[in-house]
Amino acid sequence: MEKFADPRETFAEALLEAAKKDSRIVALSADSSSGSGFSPFKKNFPDRHLEFGIMEQGVVGFASGLATMGKIPVVATIATFVTSRPFEMVRNDLGYMRQNVKLVGRCGGITYNDLGPTHHSLEDFAILGTIPGFTLLSPGDPLEIRKATLAMFEHVGPVYMRIGQQPIPFLYEGEYPFQIGKGITMREGKDLTIVATGTVLQKAIAASDLLKKRGIHTRVINIHTLKPIDREILVQAARETGKIVTVEENYLRGGLGSLVAQVVSTEYPVPVRMIGIDDTFVGTGPYEDLLAKFGLQPEQIAETAVTFLRK
Amino acid sequence: MNQISEQDVKRLERIAVQIRRNILRMIKVYGKGHLGGAMSAADIVTALYFQIMRIRPEEPKWKDRDRFVLSAGHKCLVLYAALAERGYFNKDLLDTYGAMDSKFPGHPDMHKLPGVETNTGALGHGLSIAGGMALGAKLDGSDVKVYVVMGDGELAEGSNWEAAAACAKYQLENLLVFVDKNELQISGSTKEVMNYDPLPDKWKAFGWAVREIDGHNMREILDVATRFPFEKGKPSVVIAHTVKSKGFSFAEGKASYHYWKVTPEELAQAERDLAEMERRLQ
Ligand SMILES: Cc1ncc(C[n+]2csc(CCOP(=O)(O)OP(=O)(O)O)c2C)c(N)n1
Ligand SMILES: [Mg+2]
Repeated sequence: MEKFADPRETFAEALLEAAKKDSRIVALSADSSSGSGFSPFKKNFPDRHLEFGIMEQGVVGFASGLATMGKIPVVATIATFVTSRPFEMVRNDLGYMRQNVKLVGRCGGITYNDLGPTHHSLEDFAILGTIPGFTLLSPGDPLEIRKATLAMFEHVGPVYMRIGQQPIPFLYEGEYPFQIGKGITMREGKDLTIVATGTVLQKAIAASDLLKKRGIHTRVINIHTLKPIDREILVQAARETGKIVTVEENYLRGGLGSLVAQVVSTEYPVPVRMIGIDDTFVGTGPYEDLLAKFGLQPEQIAETAVTFLRK
Repeated sequence: MNQISEQDVKRLERIAVQIRRNILRMIKVYGKGHLGGAMSAADIVTALYFQIMRIRPEEPKWKDRDRFVLSAGHKCLVLYAALAERGYFNKDLLDTYGAMDSKFPGHPDMHKLPGVETNTGALGHGLSIAGGMALGAKLDGSDVKVYVVMGDGELAEGSNWEAAAACAKYQLENLLVFVDKNELQISGSTKEVMNYDPLPDKWKAFGWAVREIDGHNMREILDVATRFPFEKGKPSVVIAHTVKSKGFSFAEGKASYHYWKVTPEELAQAERDLAEMERRLQ
């Protein structure tokens, strides 16, 4: 019934589309090309595909230099290796220098389930979010990955986009307007708001649909841009529904929940319940089972929402 | 110690087949895994765990044990295979590879499995940690030795060369590094992806004593491992020329088997290849 797509293939197609339109785009690989969706780009534009080998820190510096010369570099690899690993270079060479460079982290969150904590990325948004002027994208469905990719190249300035590794379902019925920094209401409701992002947006929507069957009408907001965050849509949700549950595949500290709490606590304080990864290194195992460990499956999210509403 | 008999070499060669069998066992259970780099390092790791290192499997935290650092953590199947074979834990546990909260994650975790010394998986970190271990032993006047296995693609990480300089500065004679030079990484030929040849010259320039061997020749592995430091006052590095996925005919020397998603035909061929290796060693 549901249609799924591989996020990396989706990104690959969108990158090719963008690159055909803009010859300034160059792709930088740290022995990460094929796994990150660069293959179609490489085939079409071999001269614009640059391979550096396993040197994530060096590659960020090269991207900064290329940007200075008018190129639009995109660096893509396993999420943690393009964020945590070269963090200072990202902060100084891209953020501080305000370079027009695009970073793409794939296999983000715990979607690289079986490879363990060295390959999980649960803090990428939190740490890059501290860099002034950085835009953070967290698309939640295949169509949105395409739109976010195209928007990322249109936008002038440093951008980080994270995608997962597991196939994800199409959540949108058809065309819809995508704008960096503008959240999207995926389900209407007045009883409670669920704010979600990225890989687990699908879980939040499924939870909302479960709750509807129980007569509870939840609003679902998709925050596909974690920075700059859409304050308006959040404050409106706080005002109209009174309680917010956040759903994310991130560490709670510094993640979506923290950002939502920051916004509503200063502008319209309401109780916020956060679902995500607590203060722990996540083990290995089947992806869906790992999500369940942290209450990220639809039934669990629905249960948390019900308990929260009753309080 | 330097007197290693032909019989010993044969014994170790047979164990190396068993190590490869253990690797296959895990991949078979889960259906996939990092094959190539585990297989190319199998003979070196066998020599270390079954002849060279001073260890007590029944007392994995023994203070005076030699340390093994698998810098290229994705090669972990060869480490799990060796630890199991050496008796650090019940071999049947290998069948939990890939299961929920398995003691055998896709990259090694020292808090999960006895005998694992470091958490690696992010490439380019191992040599610094190993350098710290070797330096610690030296500061204590201990005779503990530290052994490292690195990948050749991994050498592109600049952090390795920071560590290389520091190990030379501190004259870590108790450190022996094997570079598993299988000439391949994920994107293909290491020479083409990012060339670091000639490796011996680079390491020498950083102040190391260097040897080159065939990394699948047990006698050559044992020779270097029993004769270091190669030069006084220097850390030692062995450039081990190897074949990625060594032992499995369908996968040898092919970048695409860095990570293997098994097919029934390949599994059958892998079994036949192991049987053939065993027969040749009779
Ligand atoms: C810092 C870091 N970057 C990227 C990766 C992803 N990765 C895993 S293995 C590998 C290739 C390693 O090649 P090599 O060191 O030659 O190992 P081998 O051929 O022995 O498998 C890469 C890029 C990683 N694990 N760590
Ligand atoms: Mg290699």
